[in-house]
Amino acid sequence: MSTAPKTLEEVEALEGSPVLVGRPDDRALSESLLEPVLGPTRKGWLMLVGALMVGVSYWIVSLIATLFIGIGTWGNNIPVAWAFDITNFVWWIGIGHAGTLISAILLLFQQRWRTSINRFAEAMTLFAVAMAGLYPIIHLGRPWLFWWLIPYPATTQVWPNFKSALPWDVFAISTYGTVSVLFWYLGLIPDLATARDVAKKRVQRIVYGILSFGWRGSARHWQHYRIGYLLLAGLSTPLVVSVHTIVSFDFAISQLPGWHTTIFPPYFVAGAIFSGFAMVMTLMIPARRAFGYQQVVTPRHLENMAKVMLATGLMVSYGYVMEHFIAWYSGNPAEQFAFLNRWNGDYKWIWFMQLFCNVLTPQIFWFRWARRSEVVLFVASILINIGMWAERFVIIAVSLTRDFVPSSWANYYPTWVDWGLLLGSICMFGLLFSLFLRFLPAIPIFEVKELKRELEHHGPGVRHQGPAEVAR
Amino acid sequence: MTGSYVLARFEREGALLDAARALRAQGHTGLDLHSPYPLHGADEALGLRRSTVPLVALGAGVTGAVSGYLLQYGTVAYLWPLNVGGRPPHSPPAFIPVTFELGILFASLAIFLGLLFAYFRFPRVHHPVFELEAFRSASIDALWLSAEVDIARAEAVAAELRRLGASHVAIVPGVAP
Repeated sequence: MSTAPKTLEEVEALEGSPVLVGRPDDRALSESLLEPVLGPTRKGWLMLVGALMVGVSYWIVSLIATLFIGIGTWGNNIPVAWAFDITNFVWWIGIGHAGTLISAILLLFQQRWRTSINRFAEAMTLFAVAMAGLYPIIHLGRPWLFWWLIPYPATTQVWPNFKSALPWDVFAISTYGTVSVLFWYLGLIPDLATARDVAKKRVQRIVYGILSFGWRGSARHWQHYRIGYLLLAGLSTPLVVSVHTIVSFDFAISQLPGWHTTIFPPYFVAGAIFSGFAMVMTLMIPARRAFGYQQVVTPRHLENMAKVMLATGLMVSYGYVMEHFIAWYSGNPAEQFAFLNRWNGDYKWIWFMQLFCNVLTPQIFWFRWARRSEVVLFVASILINIGMWAERFVIIAVSLTRDFVPSSWANYYPTWVDWGLLLGSICMFGLLFSLFLRFLPAIPIFEVKELKRELEHHGPGVRHQGPAEVAR
Repeated sequence: MTGSYVLARFEREGALLDAARALRAQGHTGLDLHSPYPLHGADEALGLRRSTVPLVALGAGVTGAVSGYLLQYGTVAYLWPLNVGGRPPHSPPAFIPVTFELGILFASLAIFLGLLFAYFRFPRVHHPVFELEAFRSASIDALWLSAEVDIARAEAVAAELRRLGASHVAIVPGVAP
């Protein structure tokens, strides 16, 4: 095999488009990536924030109604005790998982293209987990007593039942939220120091100086930093799988037809990654245009994310097929009915929407032109987001409407409060994300500089030296 | 002793690492390198020992997992044996998720808090190296070497660093707090 050095153009022809366009010098790179953070506030950003605030106020009104009047304001009933709330919970937590996947799992797999988008995806994780964590709490009925879920020596001497999946959820979600914050902030510290040093305004220098804790790029710090960051990635990887597994246990451990399935853990994790990549795409396509990140977030990134969506979309489709097969093969009439009810029941249009969005839509990514078209990617990512929400609704609420005893069957219809808690949370998520884009470096600047050096030193054709070398 | 820091800017990674090796060979301690991204070869040039962060993480992770298991055993099997659906009070398979999550949580907290407050000794926003305005470039595009020396010897070290190829050398007074 020839080891002759290849030119950049040759390698790009072989490997697809670059992960970094051009070779800007470090100062220009720092300044351009920090421009959205340190520069003046843009009118478009203010208008976006204002529009999102309108949606957020609908969310706040819905929350107030829930807290002051009670969950009777929701459309939930018996048998449909879990509906929009838990659907939203699973949907948001699933969206969060792609962030951890991009930042942790792709780091361990030495995927160079993750570098520019990992911070962005981690921030998405944080805000999605924050939204997700809200629903189980407000669903408690008396949310101000949520701390009863925490094991503490109460005067009643009663402890949480650790043999139930719901206390597992408490630990899984709170651990996931905490670790996501730590991982994200650790990654931010060197960039906050860069922001401190690039900033011209005194206030910015002070604020970013405090936030960066006095990072001075010391080699003695970098040594521990790199190994610590890698270890956090290593810990996050099984964590993300365990969290969605535990979320799926909430259903799989029960006996309800449509829920009681051993395929749920892997199928839920694949669905989580599927929806999360769709959300990264939905956010990234407008953001890279608005903030001029095209140099570091290239068509290569979008194309790779489309491939991941195609792969996980196929896994999810396999889950659908296998659920039906097992329902038939089990010979259990209640289980068989639950799946026939998806095709023929009162909510069949949601099921068909789910099939359209999750099974058919990603198939377009077999075509290269579709993976490289921002319009196709954006529309498909929105459809997949909708489809994954529909999937959770079908699993959770539609299964509950038809349980074992026909006399207890009842349909579910959302109220304005249910809609407010869903649509409003999307606006709140968007608002938090807009604030992140405005005030914190959304692209990991130091990692892009490192990537640039690797591309220069080893040539673009050489896989970068990753964890094995760091761990030395 | 009156402390001071000699700060020297280098243009190339190789020259920076060679300078660190040369000073270390002359018996200097208190050397450090500053760069906007992790430098390959810095650990060897400074003669740093292998990081102990993995051991800390392992210890904390095991502590978390053990305490997670004991928490569950102690509360639902020992203090208040709980009979739900006829499952035995001590049900090891059902205790796995919380045990695992607490192991991860403790290890992650130990890594984060340990790095920041023990390994880096942060917050330290008033370190003497920040006295030099040009040092701002250390987080943007420049490579710096810092040597903690007695003020009496600072000029000699500065001259040595110039000889080793530094493009800019400055002396700032002060000791690390």
